[in-house]
Amino acid sequence: MENIIEVTSLAKIFGNQTALEDVHFSVKKGETFGFLGPSGSGKTTTIKILTGQLSHTSGKASVFGKPAATLNKPQDRKRFGVITDNSGLYQRLSIEDNLKLYCNLYDVPSIRISEVLEMVSLSKERKKNVAKLSKGMIQRVTLARALLHEPELLFLDEPTSALDPANSKHIHEGLRELNRKGTTIFLTTHDMGEAESLCDRVAFLNKGRIQLLDEPKTLRRQFAENTVLLELQDGSNITLPGGQEGAKEVYERMASGQVVSIHSNEPTLGDIFVEVTGRELV
Amino acid sequence: MTFSMKRMYAIFQKDVRDLSKNMYITTTMLMPLALAIFYSTMDEVTMDMHYLIINLCFAAVGVFVQSAIIAEEKEKNTLRGLMLSPATLPEILGGKSLVTLVLTMATVLICALLMGYEPANYMIVGGAILISCFFYIALGTLVGLLTKSVVEASVLALPVMFIFSFGSLFLTLIEEYPILSFIEYLPSVQLVELAIEVETGAVFADLWSNFAIILAWIVLASLLTAVVYKKKEMDA
Repeated sequence: MENIIEVTSLAKIFGNQTALEDVHFSVKKGETFGFLGPSGSGKTTTIKILTGQLSHTSGKASVFGKPAATLNKPQDRKRFGVITDNSGLYQRLSIEDNLKLYCNLYDVPSIRISEVLEMVSLSKERKKNVAKLSKGMIQRVTLARALLHEPELLFLDEPTSALDPANSKHIHEGLRELNRKGTTIFLTTHDMGEAESLCDRVAFLNKGRIQLLDEPKTLRRQFAENTVLLELQDGSNITLPGGQEGAKEVYERMASGQVVSIHSNEPTLGDIFVEVTGRELV
Repeated sequence: MTFSMKRMYAIFQKDVRDLSKNMYITTTMLMPLALAIFYSTMDEVTMDMHYLIINLCFAAVGVFVQSAIIAEEKEKNTLRGLMLSPATLPEILGGKSLVTLVLTMATVLICALLMGYEPANYMIVGGAILISCFFYIALGTLVGLLTKSVVEASVLALPVMFIFSFGSLFLTLIEEYPILSFIEYLPSVQLVELAIEVETGAVFADLWSNFAIILAWIVLASLLTAVVYKKKEMDA
């Protein structure tokens, strides 16, 4: 499958501080790619380089087959969208007026406003001034704005940071729908739950370097302990080995009605991150 | 570089809507109007008084308002959104400057009407005022781009406004302090000189040096603005 983003030996140095070092990855067309790491690991720096907002020190970063730094022509800008947790909206204007501006900038018919507001469940609020919206609603308007021109590639920098679970769920549903329609998504987050639920592949970024890159289920399997956890009727838990050896005991305990629930001992992406990097995802 | 009238007009329309709800802008515009009303009650309004008000319009609206609207875009992170959109530098700055141009020229016109200013040659004086306005808007844009917030822009705009708009008040000091002779080349001084010449019957051919100096200031301010904008487009 065609690669939309290709990054080779990318490095970025600010003064005497290395923000990115020898970063390699590629993102396939139609994929949702997660760039995971704690604050200060280089996630936003990477997005800024890929969207032409920041120059890099060495290496290569290309988007749509062109060097990222050259993506400043209107026809290139129409191919991607960017959402950050502080993507500015005009506070004194209504949601509709904010979106109308971007319809005109992207040469999109105004009818699209109703469609994107429907997607983010804000149709009833379209005349409301942005200043009167909650943080969650503002983030949904930002998403709606990025969806107006149906970009081929969407960069999301911590899209649900500081949002409550209900609002995050809303945003996630919108992103899945967009991805189903063919948009490639590049997502940075330190929320492992978000990464697990949205991403086809994830890269763990720590201190400016990628330490692991694969599909979430492959990573979980790779780091799994191959044991099962049984929750018993008497309230106790026991861990049994996987395979033939454990299967017999699981069967016996189930047959005698002792088992309330069975869990595989697959680690979460957060657990794997801590194991690989020795750092918590905060 | 591509240029789309539709995109520039979209930014202009957005700013018109936004500014109509912005008290800071509307109250700033009232300042030269209030002073024009005050001067209009006087028996005789001299050319210096007319141009004090016209230069105040340039300073308060052209520089101050333009710097505030650009700085606000930066402060609220909306300029980044525009920069990442298909809108190009001339479209963004053109759209934003067009609003200020309309506001400045409207304020100048109302003030001139209030004070009963009737130049001997409307074409020449009107043209000179219009091109001077371009300079002050470019200056306001530059101040807005160099600052991070509306408050910071207001602080930086004050000395800039003072030098460029009221420099003519210090012309009398040049003999005593020759270092101040640069004041003679300020666009505000050139505009007043041009307006006085027009009243004595000067035609365009007599005034080309005034126009050339004002145009040189426009070119310089526009180049600086473009360089700073390009620098701000990239973070580091």
